Amino acid sequence: MSDKVKIIIDDIEYEVPAGSNLVDMAKWYADNDIPVFCYHPKMEPVGMCRMCLVEQGSIVKDRETGEVVLDENGNPQVRWFPKLQTACTQIVHDGMVIRTNTEAVKAARENVVEFLLTSHPLDCPICDKGGECPLQNLTMAHGPGTSRMNYDDKMHLDKHVPLGDLIFLDEERCIQCARCIRFQDEIVGDDVLAFHERGRKLQIITNSDPGFDTYFSGNTTDICPVGALTTADFRFGARPWELTEVPSICPHDAAGSNISLSVRLDRDFGGRAMIKRVMPRQNEYVNEIWISDKTRFGHHFTRSEDRLKKPMIKKGGVLTEATWDEAIRFVVDALKAADGSVAAIAGSSTPNEDLWTLRKLVEGLGGGLLGAWTPTHAGADLVAQVGVGKGTNLGDLGQGDAVLIIATDLEEEVPIWRLRLKQAADRGAYLVVANARKTRMDDFASDTVRYDYGQAAHAMQNLDAAIAKKLKEANNLIIVAGAEGLTLDGSRALMQAAANFLIESGHIGKPNNGLLSPFPGANGMGLHYMGFSPEATLQIMQNPPKLLIVNQAELLADDPFAAEWLNKVETIISLNLFPDAVSNMAAAALPIQSFAERDGTFTNGERRVQRFYMAQGPMGEALPAWQVFSQLSEALGQGHAKLSAAAVMKEITENVEAFAGMRYKELARVERQFPDVGGEDLYYGGTAYQNKGGLGVQIETSADKGEAVSVGEVKLPDSPKPKKGQVLVVPVAQLFNRQSTFKPSVLVHPRVPQPYVEINSKDAARMNIKTGDLVEVMMADQIRVTVQAHVNGGAPEGAAVLPRYLTDEATPMVLTVGEIKKV
Amino acid sequence: MANTLAEKYAERIQHHLSKYPDKRSAVMPLLYIAQEEYGWLSPQGIEEVAELCDMDPTQVKSIAGFYTMYREQPKGKFWLHVCTDLPCALKGAETFYADLLAHLGIEDGGTTEDGTFTVEHVMCLAACDRAPMLQCNFHFHEHLDMDKMRELLDQWRKEAEAYANKDV
Amino acid sequence: MNIIRGFMTTFKHLSEEPVTLQYPEQVRPFQVRFKGRHHLRRYENGLEKCIGCALCAAACPADAIWVEAAENTDEARYSPGERYAKTYEINMLRCIFCGYCEDACPTQAIELGHEHQLSFTDRRDAIYTKDMLIDPVPEGGQDTPQQVEPGVFTRSIPVMPDAK
Repeated sequence: MSDKVKIIIDDIEYEVPAGSNLVDMAKWYADNDIPVFCYHPKMEPVGMCRMCLVEQGSIVKDRETGEVVLDENGNPQVRWFPKLQTACTQIVHDGMVIRTNTEAVKAARENVVEFLLTSHPLDCPICDKGGECPLQNLTMAHGPGTSRMNYDDKMHLDKHVPLGDLIFLDEERCIQCARCIRFQDEIVGDDVLAFHERGRKLQIITNSDPGFDTYFSGNTTDICPVGALTTADFRFGARPWELTEVPSICPHDAAGSNISLSVRLDRDFGGRAMIKRVMPRQNEYVNEIWISDKTRFGHHFTRSEDRLKKPMIKKGGVLTEATWDEAIRFVVDALKAADGSVAAIAGSSTPNEDLWTLRKLVEGLGGGLLGAWTPTHAGADLVAQVGVGKGTNLGDLGQGDAVLIIATDLEEEVPIWRLRLKQAADRGAYLVVANARKTRMDDFASDTVRYDYGQAAHAMQNLDAAIAKKLKEANNLIIVAGAEGLTLDGSRALMQAAANFLIESGHIGKPNNGLLSPFPGANGMGLHYMGFSPEATLQIMQNPPKLLIVNQAELLADDPFAAEWLNKVETIISLNLFPDAVSNMAAAALPIQSFAERDGTFTNGERRVQRFYMAQGPMGEALPAWQVFSQLSEALGQGHAKLSAAAVMKEITENVEAFAGMRYKELARVERQFPDVGGEDLYYGGTAYQNKGGLGVQIETSADKGEAVSVGEVKLPDSPKPKKGQVLVVPVAQLFNRQSTFKPSVLVHPRVPQPYVEINSKDAARMNIKTGDLVEVMMADQIRVTVQAHVNGGAPEGAAVLPRYLTDEATPMVLTVGEIKKV
Repeated sequence: MANTLAEKYAERIQHHLSKYPDKRSAVMPLLYIAQEEYGWLSPQGIEEVAELCDMDPTQVKSIAGFYTMYREQPKGKFWLHVCTDLPCALKGAETFYADLLAHLGIEDGGTTEDGTFTVEHVMCLAACDRAPMLQCNFHFHEHLDMDKMRELLDQWRKEAEAYANKDV
Repeated sequence: MNIIRGFMTTFKHLSEEPVTLQYPEQVRPFQVRFKGRHHLRRYENGLEKCIGCALCAAACPADAIWVEAAENTDEARYSPGERYAKTYEINMLRCIFCGYCEDACPTQAIELGHEHQLSFTDRRDAIYTKDMLIDPVPEGGQDTPQQVEPGVFTRSIPVMPDAK
């Protein structure tokens, strides 16, 4: 963006970056909203809708001298093009002159709008888009007011065509701009939408199985400039002007997507504020303006009737309802009785404030062990040292840059990273995908690497020389290292190997360089900065304390072996959204608020600390967990309880070095972002894009600060070896699953696969198993699940890939040796 | 799922695929093969072509929908396109078309009950000097009148029967 | 003298018809345009005119109207279009009877009638729900929700003749 060119828009000269799009530049510099329907700044222009017609010309220069030719008044002479040009397909160049306010342009706009409306139904009163509809807005701004067309002649088409389970198409409303088709093709790479027929019969279709088979389908409803695409979730939920947009953060994965929760009071929710829909919120560093369908449709758990609503304490061996006062007194007594043998385990979606107050409580009691759940992904400390540099933007990666993705299936784990890295590959970045099996990311990779399960660290250290050379010589290098098919030790080894690679090649301490890891949950990095670690969890497992506080971690649902050591714990204090197997064992089960009901912060995988705000009315008597811990601390005489999440954050900024300067005010800062979508404009659709809640602040890594980081030793652990007739059972992530925080989203249920295990064709042939057969998978000689077999080439020989959280029974968190039998 | 096309027409498919640097470029000739095999572009045919061209079935379906010479609905064994554009109409194509429909007892664009004939009217087929004319399964038949037409129809009907018997 | 004139005026008025009405037994006739409490109208077949678009609520200067919409199905159909009002409430204490809701309504579903005797002993009673606002089912019509044949109602906004 260094070269500048001079262009003239409506007689005023602007200096704009060379090579950029005219519509974007007119909007950004001249505040001139050239109306568009088909153009979208995130996609290639196609010039289909003709709405952006402008008068264009160029300043005449003398061919010989190269000097600007002046007219008799001494102004530069302009050679106007004979016809109007589509502004969206123009790249700015020096001497470009456009006019957007002449009679010809106005007439062209009027005619285009009039023509678009010839077959558009006047559904506005009941259309979900009515009120935030670009077609409505542009008709008001540029339309002719009356039409010469005969309205009895309108095409009547199907109003309710389900494109899959989540998105509905209204064929009449579609103006055939192809934004949805181009989004699926260019940005996502799942080209499951297309036009069918031609002329007036042109329609959008999907022929995939299941229909509209992608994890990003909801975004098409945002960019649709009319109400043709609507979501099953929000259909007729509310009128847009009735909604209040509350900034929030996606609680499901490490991307920390910025979202807006559109809330409105609702009779079905007792007249309290309720989330009606989830919309993306622009943050060009994190999720741009896209969110995954899990983020968009996974909010129902916050008001599930199954939520724990009242504090429960054990009286005479039975959990009974109690008041908070009773519960606090009961827990305080239990804490005192534990005599310092106190430990805590926090789930990976626990906000920073809760983690800090929990840590203070435990440390105040003389306890020490703070466990992170699930203990599958190690190396958060390495990310803190050599993670991606401050100012990283995956959207900047392109030609000359490189990305290595190893031991993770990003499509299922962090879909937004997968979306953005796919685009990086499209822009020319060198993308290497290393995994033991084929994942979706392979489709976009420049090179793929295969290794045996359990050998990820070894593969990282012994990359093919040509690939390693390209990675090392890239301008920028990001390594995304997961923990698929690894034990905790294996994960540490891989992270260390990846960190070593980065340190040796000097790709640290700079933006767009460094290490990333798809930690489960929304606050995997926050756990590390607040002192929680998976290693501590293993210690807790080995030496169970007298009293264990479990916050938002469903130990028994995640780990079938947890019961063994949990039984040795005398007292369990459980804080959770839902009553689960742990709270049934607990001496006290306390209801806590979800992300939607309270203020707080999450630290995403890129170490960006981001604020979410209170949006929805609370469920029952649930309290934010920080408040519970704070009150317990006060009752134990550890000082006054904090009164707000902001006060807790202030305390964190004073005590945790990484969080210095991260007061709520700082986290709420926003700046104008390019491209300018949302806000006051008339045509990028949706009012929820605008970011009013803050861009967050990224924590500096040690390398960013210039501290010395050195190569560490990689301890290659022994990986379980299957004997003859056995297979390695590898747990993998599945985006749409039956976890307690996703199960209440009933509308997504048809898209949650039936429990299955993916088996290699050779193993399947040996065991005489075909796709669709029911098989029993026995793991570690004791855990059995009955699932469907898939033999679709998704598993390497000797391994069975078992997606997590699809079965009702818990399955092991890390890879185990197992046997498969046909039922 | 077994790919019938790939097994049955391996050589022809390979011939088309080898002509292009990119597999998806061969989608149109392969669609013709599918149409030949199934009589129309059935969902099965679309799936198989998509697999052969390494494309999403949606995109293949979209191509099939764009071009008029792909049949997206099951049609008769003989697909008659009668030109009724101006030059043909001047030479009596409209009456001829009406007579033909009446003779077969079907509506415009309809298929006979036995599934032998589908008759549609089309725009110019570039044989104006030989009007009235029609195209049957992409072969031209020119200078027509109803007597000639009846002969042709009888002939095609016999062919269809012979084909059906052979099939059994 | 003056006192006699005074009494004469008094006696003159004694013989005149009184202007006072014995309300509530007697009721003064209303002007056609009088704006009383609201009615939600039905079509002749009993389907509701209201499509739950909430434009009345948007137009309301007193924020007195609360609408929540839901989707019709052929098994349970309330209105001819795709959408109907699941919840429709008017807070009569807030309402200023300006009639903007009537003007905003695209299907003439809400109309201000002539009832004006609105008094409450509890603020909650001032909230008129849909059951209280909606007209009775006309003769020959069916109550909602109705079960209808699929494919009859395919438009998102109904095209239907008005009820008389």
